[in-house]
Amino acid sequence: MPTEHPKLDLSTFLLSSIHDMKNSLGMMANYLEDALAQAPTEAGSQASNTPARQKTAQALYEAQRVNNHLIQLLALYKIDQSFYPFDPTEQSLADLAREALARALPLAESKGILLDLDCPENLFGWFDYDLVFGVIVQALHNALHYTRSKVLLKASASEAGVVIQIEDDGPGYPEFLLEQGNAAQRGISFETGSTGLGLYFADVVASLHQAGGRTGHIVLANGGQLGGGQLGGGQLAGGCFSLHLP
Amino acid sequence: MSLLTLPPPNLSRCSILIIEDFDGMRAILRDILVRASATKIIMAANASSAISLLEKQRFDIILCDLHLGQGKSGQDILEEARHRALLPPHSVWLMISAEKAAEMVTGTVESRPDDYLIKPITETMLFSRLTRQMEKKKALAPIELALREHEYLKALRLVEAQLEGNNPHAWDLKRMKAELALLSGENALAKTIYEEALNLRNLPWARLGLAKLHFNEGRYVDASRELKQITDGNRAYLEAHDLLAYTLEKLGDADAAQEVIQRALATSPRAPLRQLHLGEVALRRGELDTAQVAFQNSIELARNTPLKSSQAYLALSQVQQTLNQTDAALNTLSRLSTDMHGDSTARLLAEAMQIPVRLHRGEKEQALGLAQNLATGLKIDAQHLPPDAVFNLAAPLLELGETSTANALLGSLISNHHEHPEYLQRAQSIFTHAGLEREGRELVEGAARAATDIMNRGVKLSREGKLGEAIKLTREARAKMPNNARLLLNHAFLLIAWMERHGRDPALNTEARNCIELARKLKPEDKRAGELLTKLELLGNDFVLPT
Repeated sequence: MPTEHPKLDLSTFLLSSIHDMKNSLGMMANYLEDALAQAPTEAGSQASNTPARQKTAQALYEAQRVNNHLIQLLALYKIDQSFYPFDPTEQSLADLAREALARALPLAESKGILLDLDCPENLFGWFDYDLVFGVIVQALHNALHYTRSKVLLKASASEAGVVIQIEDDGPGYPEFLLEQGNAAQRGISFETGSTGLGLYFADVVASLHQAGGRTGHIVLANGGQLGGGQLGGGQLAGGCFSLHLP
Repeated sequence: MSLLTLPPPNLSRCSILIIEDFDGMRAILRDILVRASATKIIMAANASSAISLLEKQRFDIILCDLHLGQGKSGQDILEEARHRALLPPHSVWLMISAEKAAEMVTGTVESRPDDYLIKPITETMLFSRLTRQMEKKKALAPIELALREHEYLKALRLVEAQLEGNNPHAWDLKRMKAELALLSGENALAKTIYEEALNLRNLPWARLGLAKLHFNEGRYVDASRELKQITDGNRAYLEAHDLLAYTLEKLGDADAAQEVIQRALATSPRAPLRQLHLGEVALRRGELDTAQVAFQNSIELARNTPLKSSQAYLALSQVQQTLNQTDAALNTLSRLSTDMHGDSTARLLAEAMQIPVRLHRGEKEQALGLAQNLATGLKIDAQHLPPDAVFNLAAPLLELGETSTANALLGSLISNHHEHPEYLQRAQSIFTHAGLEREGRELVEGAARAATDIMNRGVKLSREGKLGEAIKLTREARAKMPNNARLLLNHAFLLIAWMERHGRDPALNTEARNCIELARKLKPEDKRAGELLTKLELLGNDFVLPT
């Protein structure tokens, strides 16, 4: 383009660097996924048992985690600057769930955590696929971090639309998060690290989805289907993240 | 874990083309496909090798990166492949992109890929999309075939039949149905679908469809209201911005139109047609500097793509001439000749448009020499020259005394656009300025009258039942005014009426179809083209229409 830019804004460099880092991490994730798929697995033994596989899975998770964060940052920037091409279409929730679970599977296997899916094959909902996919993968990663042995991804029809839930059997969300209510008003807490961005992103994505006078929202709660387990005498609450889409 | 993962699709019998400029990504995609037993995988690193592979072989699956560096994009390849029917009807085209881009939310049934995949591409994602799209395309293949034959009504009926079952892609099909209804001139049906969708939720594509209907039917205020609802909150919906700019121009608000185009360009600057549009609006507003930059951008961006056209070069040289940059203007014309050397009309224009520039420089001898050398060529090609070029050329030709060439050019222009009062006025004022008011009036009015006369005689003959004579008349007239939209549609109407009486005839069928397609290109908003296409399709058709 022959248009002249005598003085480039620093934000231009920031943006293009984020793009570059995101793409590079995406490639890294692809290579690692490929490596995992091609690595010989010992017959009869759990695929997750070899240390090389475990480390590769861990590296894949880290690459995906940062890649996801950068994708979220870019999407939030576009939404903020009003040029995100928001495009809700009618989609299969089972497909969405399987694609999201596939992202979480290598890490789950390496940590010996069981992933489960509860979703009817014929359930369809209206949503922007890429945004909602980002929210679900983030929630799965989060659950894998805190859970004890299991993570359940559940999707069902609700009177207003559909609800997607991610449950774990870990200690549950801390009181302060449950008390704070609306994630968009929470602001970013630098002490809790990545939690701020993930929840903020989930909240923004949920509220973009609107139909029939209703607006999408997220709910954090403790004590889902997997909660109530025992660990060393203490009762486990079990975290439950829900995304409601009209 | 059987719940979590579907079995991979069996791709052992599928021929697959991967179009991707980055070799690392090509290898990753290939390795994933091999894990689904794919053996027939061919890879292309750029658009031109992709096109030549698509010419040689019919691929079942195409994985294509949207951005391929300079030159043609993945979208350009898809459109060319569809346009030239290089894809089998069941083929699945997955477009791969690094991020969700604005161009993914617009487009028509003939320009959208089957699905988009956002990087990073995982095995599960690729397999599940392939499985779903292969199933879907198998079911939609008959519709795709009908579309390819431009049998929009048949496609519409097939879509309706699919909608009767409990189809999981109901809204994809309904969106397709609305687009097909628009193409068949069934505006009311399209409107019903768009309104049903908007009742459900605020869907940009449905609102855009509704706005297109308003625009085509001349309700510009309504169109602009709907479009502003899309564009006000979000500048990502580019197609809505483009249509809003055209709507605002129709409403006489060129300032606002330019603002809207510039907003769209801020989101997506690499769009040659949008840059061209900006140049045209800026030129009309007298903002020559803006126009110049926009035309230059348009030329650069379109250079190696199918979107390149002589229009931007001609407009740029005209702006440069007005700015007294005559060297630059001549240079632009010589670039036109080089860049579009395969197009004889473009080459002719590149030479002919030097005439006004030479005159402007006071090089009368050279201008006259050119005019005399090109006289025959210009007269032969007169029917195919764009109106703007004719208007810019006619006055200098009259000034040089090359009256017969000027008359031929303006006469052709008027006979092709006899219902366009603005053109008639412009032509007349060129003659008046040259001191040829009376001669001009005879020519302009004569050409317009002759065209109207032919239309009337055609209608009269057909009313008297003399279809054969009417067809002979309009066919001869078409040779003289090949770009007259009304004549083309009238001629097609007569051919169809003849076939309704005497049975279907392949040659007449093709003749009618060509007339309708050209008329639609010349006057996209005229729904008569769609209606005639429908009538043509219904002629002795061999498909059963569910009612």
